[in-house]
Amino acid sequence: MSEEKDTAFGMFPIGLQALNQHYFANKQLHNLIESTNTGLWERNIEDQQAWWSPKFCELLGYDYGALDTSYTSFIDKLVHPEDKKPLVDAYQNHLKTQSPYKMEVRLLTKEQGYRWFETSGKAWPDENGKLSRMIGAVVDIDQKKRNEIKLKRNEFLLNETNKIANVGGWELDVVNMELTWSKEIYEIYELPANISPDVDSAISFFEPGYREIISAAVSDAIKFCKPYDLELQIRTARGNVIWVRTKGIPIIDSNGECITLRGIFQNINENKLKELNLQKSLDLLGDHNRRLQNFAHIVSHNLRSHSGNLQFMVNIFAENISAAEKDEVFGNIRSISESLATTIDHLNEIVKIQTEISKELKPVDFESVFKSTQNVLDSNIRRTRAMICYDFSSCPTINYVPAYLESIFLNLLSNSLKYRHPDRNPKIICETYFDKEHTYMTFEDNGLGIDLEKHKDKVFGMYRTFHQNTNAKGIGLFITRNQIESLGGSIQIESTVNVGTKFTLKLT
Amino acid sequence: MMTATPFKTVCVIDDDKIYIYGLKKLITIKELSPNLMEFYNGKEAIDFLINPENQNQLPDIIFLDINMPVMDGWGFMESFVKIKPQLSKKITIYMVSSSINQDDINRAKGISDVTDYVIKPISQDTLVELFNVAA
Repeated sequence: MSEEKDTAFGMFPIGLQALNQHYFANKQLHNLIESTNTGLWERNIEDQQAWWSPKFCELLGYDYGALDTSYTSFIDKLVHPEDKKPLVDAYQNHLKTQSPYKMEVRLLTKEQGYRWFETSGKAWPDENGKLSRMIGAVVDIDQKKRNEIKLKRNEFLLNETNKIANVGGWELDVVNMELTWSKEIYEIYELPANISPDVDSAISFFEPGYREIISAAVSDAIKFCKPYDLELQIRTARGNVIWVRTKGIPIIDSNGECITLRGIFQNINENKLKELNLQKSLDLLGDHNRRLQNFAHIVSHNLRSHSGNLQFMVNIFAENISAAEKDEVFGNIRSISESLATTIDHLNEIVKIQTEISKELKPVDFESVFKSTQNVLDSNIRRTRAMICYDFSSCPTINYVPAYLESIFLNLLSNSLKYRHPDRNPKIICETYFDKEHTYMTFEDNGLGIDLEKHKDKVFGMYRTFHQNTNAKGIGLFITRNQIESLGGSIQIESTVNVGTKFTLKLT
Repeated sequence: MMTATPFKTVCVIDDDKIYIYGLKKLITIKELSPNLMEFYNGKEAIDFLINPENQNQLPDIIFLDINMPVMDGWGFMESFVKIKPQLSKKITIYMVSSSINQDDINRAKGISDVTDYVIKPISQDTLVELFNVAA
């Protein structure tokens, strides 16, 4: 319909019956409109008289003519209570400002309850220019509307679920390498939602070390259709480092090629941190258990060797031997009893390290402890003409059990002096440094060295001696290791025979 | 009690002097052997065995400890396997240790040149039996 005819129609109001008559008079037009499932209505603005087309009546489940011909009664009886006010408001606005009149309303049908309809219309002036009638149409949009509502609800549910689970979805069009993110992913990355992501910049948010892993996973997924499910760390746009779970599944076309990659991206930071903490406690416990078991072995072994000798001597004592031999045997029994006491003292020392729960950590100054250790060994140092250098400048203090640090220095220093090389004066270098989260100490000498090929697993064992040295007791490094490990550290050794030995201690 | 074939040459490799003293006494009391040589670690023993001048004094039986400084029992066995072809007689080796660690026992039993693993202290009956087996 052209604008001109529209106006012409409006300029000759022929009364309420007019549309009705026109409608039926033009059979073809009438059939056409009826076949589009569009119901027509007409409303007299002054007296609210109304006319409803046959299709309109049919859409509501009524026979033609069965509907009340009053617009007021239509609003009262057929419009859903919630939709009444918006409909009336829209109508009044339209009359006042000619704003478009198009509404979605629920109308009460004869047998199917309320159904959704879209109604639209336009008010027309009479010959005096006064708006006198409104003509419009309704279309049944019930199915569409209900789907829409359902969709909205699902979307809402999904959004809420995603928000609660901190999970977002993404899709990568492999052909154009176009990446799409859901809202949550932007939130996880702490990025504004208006930037468009691409694969490279998405990967650049991953922490170094994890970047290579995710790159390889994405490329394998595209090349070999291999899905992935990884837990990695990213640094968000605001600089927060968090754990995420990223999962990608290739969508494969009929040629077996990956055309799309889809996946989820979830912030799992809280749980992951808990998990890591748990693992840490588990490791600590496992470590403790291992040391206890080791200790039980040590106790059993060391006591056994003495008890074995004791038994041996007692048996020989019972044999028919001379008085002089009995004296000898008794002398041996005496020395076994002394060794036993010493061993038990040593074991006690270890037990003390293992079980001291209230180890009080205090800030300890490396230099002053090292100097006092040097004082203790002063005569030894002079006698051996040892040159001792230290540098604690990059990490001068540590939170440690002071007595342990003293004992560690004493053991390492006296070892270096004891196992010095006969051909040269001892040279000892001790340094500390801080790396990431840990405090390290290195202790290096130019002594005899030790063949680690043969002895690597025994260096820190109890009563392990490697050199023919009468004052070697094989307890020092064992205690040192126990002290270090009980505070969560570790000790490593590098050594070359006739060149020297270097200990690296991770103290905390 | 079993009687042993007497007069075998015995070698003890052990850093525990009290144990050596006891073993020596026991061998004398049981009259198992008048010839006993002792070494305080594996290296001393290997140095003796490999010396051509000593080929006519080689022991018949070796009692070998595990834990020793300089060269322990395992180190001794490694070297022993290498020098064995040069030795003028067959030597029976017993590993004798106070270790009841199953790893040590299995490891010793896995060495074909070790005839048996004996846990310290060694009893008189066991000692006599070991001399008989080595006969």
